[in-house]
Amino acid sequence: MPLTVRIEFGGGLELLFSNEKKHKLTIPNMVPKDNDTKIPPDSSKEVKPADVDYLIHYLRDHLLKERPSLFMENSTVRPGILVLINDTDWELEGEGEYELKDNDEIILISTLHGG
Amino acid sequence: MASESCGNPTADTDARMIRRPKFDRSKFCVKCKENTGNIVIRHAVYCKNCFMPLLTGKIRRCLESFINDKKSGRRTYLKASGNLLIGFSGGLGSTVLLDLIHRIYFPSKMESERRAESLKGGTAHPRNEMIWQETRVCYVEVCSAFPNMNDRTEEARAVVLKYEPFEFVSLRLEDAFDNKWWAKVGGKPGQGLVIDPTNEALYISKLEDTSLADPVQRLRSYLSALPTPTAIPSAIRMLVRLLLLFTAQSTNSSHLLLATNLTSLSISLISSISQGGGFTVKEEAQEKWSSDIAGEGTSRTVRLLRPLQDIGLKECSFWAWWNELHVIGRDKYPGAKQGIGALTRDFIVGLERDYPSTVSTIARTCGKLVPKAGANGTCVLCDRSLQIGVQEWKARISIRSLSDSTPPPASSRPSLSDHLCYSCVTTLTSRSSKVTARSDGPLPLPVWVQPYLKHSIPSEDSFDVAMEEELKEAGGEIWERRKVDESEMKGKISDFLLEE
Repeated sequence: MPLTVRIEFGGGLELLFSNEKKHKLTIPNMVPKDNDTKIPPDSSKEVKPADVDYLIHYLRDHLLKERPSLFMENSTVRPGILVLINDTDWELEGEGEYELKDNDEIILISTLHGG
Repeated sequence: MASESCGNPTADTDARMIRRPKFDRSKFCVKCKENTGNIVIRHAVYCKNCFMPLLTGKIRRCLESFINDKKSGRRTYLKASGNLLIGFSGGLGSTVLLDLIHRIYFPSKMESERRAESLKGGTAHPRNEMIWQETRVCYVEVCSAFPNMNDRTEEARAVVLKYEPFEFVSLRLEDAFDNKWWAKVGGKPGQGLVIDPTNEALYISKLEDTSLADPVQRLRSYLSALPTPTAIPSAIRMLVRLLLLFTAQSTNSSHLLLATNLTSLSISLISSISQGGGFTVKEEAQEKWSSDIAGEGTSRTVRLLRPLQDIGLKECSFWAWWNELHVIGRDKYPGAKQGIGALTRDFIVGLERDYPSTVSTIARTCGKLVPKAGANGTCVLCDRSLQIGVQEWKARISIRSLSDSTPPPASSRPSLSDHLCYSCVTTLTSRSSKVTARSDGPLPLPVWVQPYLKHSIPSEDSFDVAMEEELKEAGGEIWERRKVDESEMKGKISDFLLEE
């Protein structure tokens, strides 16, 4: 069963995503372990429940419009980008390993938009 | 090669290190111990309700011991001796600072009444409000420095005017080269000076080039004559700081608040030390400044404070998000990406994510540093302390001769480098081996340099003239040190040379 996830960008990060702050995504509940976001997914690959790591890769591959290096570094978000899962710091939720639930709200904020 | 004791994670899954959570103990707030946490700040968990007073408490702790003037004796309530000026850049830090200062010290009428009911006394009681008579927020627009940058003055004005009773003050970076602005802050307009940036002595001459009459042109010539991409953001920072300080003095402000947060303070400390600013490392955190070259003979002391210096970039970002603050942002300077400042920023921001406590350690450690040597006046450009004997030290440690250069002729022209701190000399002269100077044209100096030089040079000249006359009368010798070229040197010692 697919999951619906709400995404919101802040702190200027939306500029990389066609200047749209809010997005609604539908992603599969089981995803490839290597975070390959190809649609339709390769059925021969090992799978895991959809997590924030997969979501970050999905955002980069399907929503990002420019400069992926400003969004991702070493398979996670770039330092200086904060992630909130349902209004809570993702460090409290297991960071990228947090397993997504239907209707979760994920907020990504850039802290480097001037300071 | 990996040590055997570490094991091989690909072959043996038990050898993989378990990722440690980034917070201590439980997911409950360390303060109220009831609510589930919403944010992790350097391994400690806080809920949203406790996070808000945590930040206001940090601001109060950082600011309030510096509000009362020590001379006015011990007071039980807070009262500043002058007005308040807040520097606003439009970035995240200054948006958060503006909001926090307004919430803490300028509450709405409704909030005042609520507080009056709940508090019997103390510094937070509304009767002790209005610590500063007038509060201004100063925005310095830097768009004229580079082509294709957006002017955000009106956006900044709109943000500031939301906070009653703050008054908006707009400045432009080119004001640093504008006699009109200088006269406005009480300075005496002068003809203007330029230096030759290609010579390390930085010989000063009067500004005669009519193409540099416009302050914007002067600003652009100043920036384009700087030798490295690193020097540009450093120069802009210095100009903004002085523009704000002179504005603070002219508006009778006893306090100037800047929005440097813990992360940006650590960045500026490391970056400033790497650019030769180690002597004034204490001033990066806070400084007490006064000047008698502007204003009507009065030299009001302005205390420059950074109330966010215990609050990291992450906390600022959460505050802005949870309070729905609009951050207008700032454009990046062209070419600044390759500079030391930007590289230090990338390094520190990465460090903050992986090792959150290390960033506060940088600031705390730098706070303990004390310069070894004493100060000898102030730098005429940045108006910070001048280290004794810095020129001699630089002459000893630097290799300055280039193979194809001829020795500089002895010059009677005054040299600026003798009146600059090591950091400013480095900004103006230190060339990278890869990047050549962007322009060899004259480098116009900001309006405050001439009055500062007048303060330091005439006294020195009159001292030298008096000494010379005294020596002549006594039949003594006057020694002069100057560089000579090879043929002149050979001529002087020709009688003593052995024939080949």
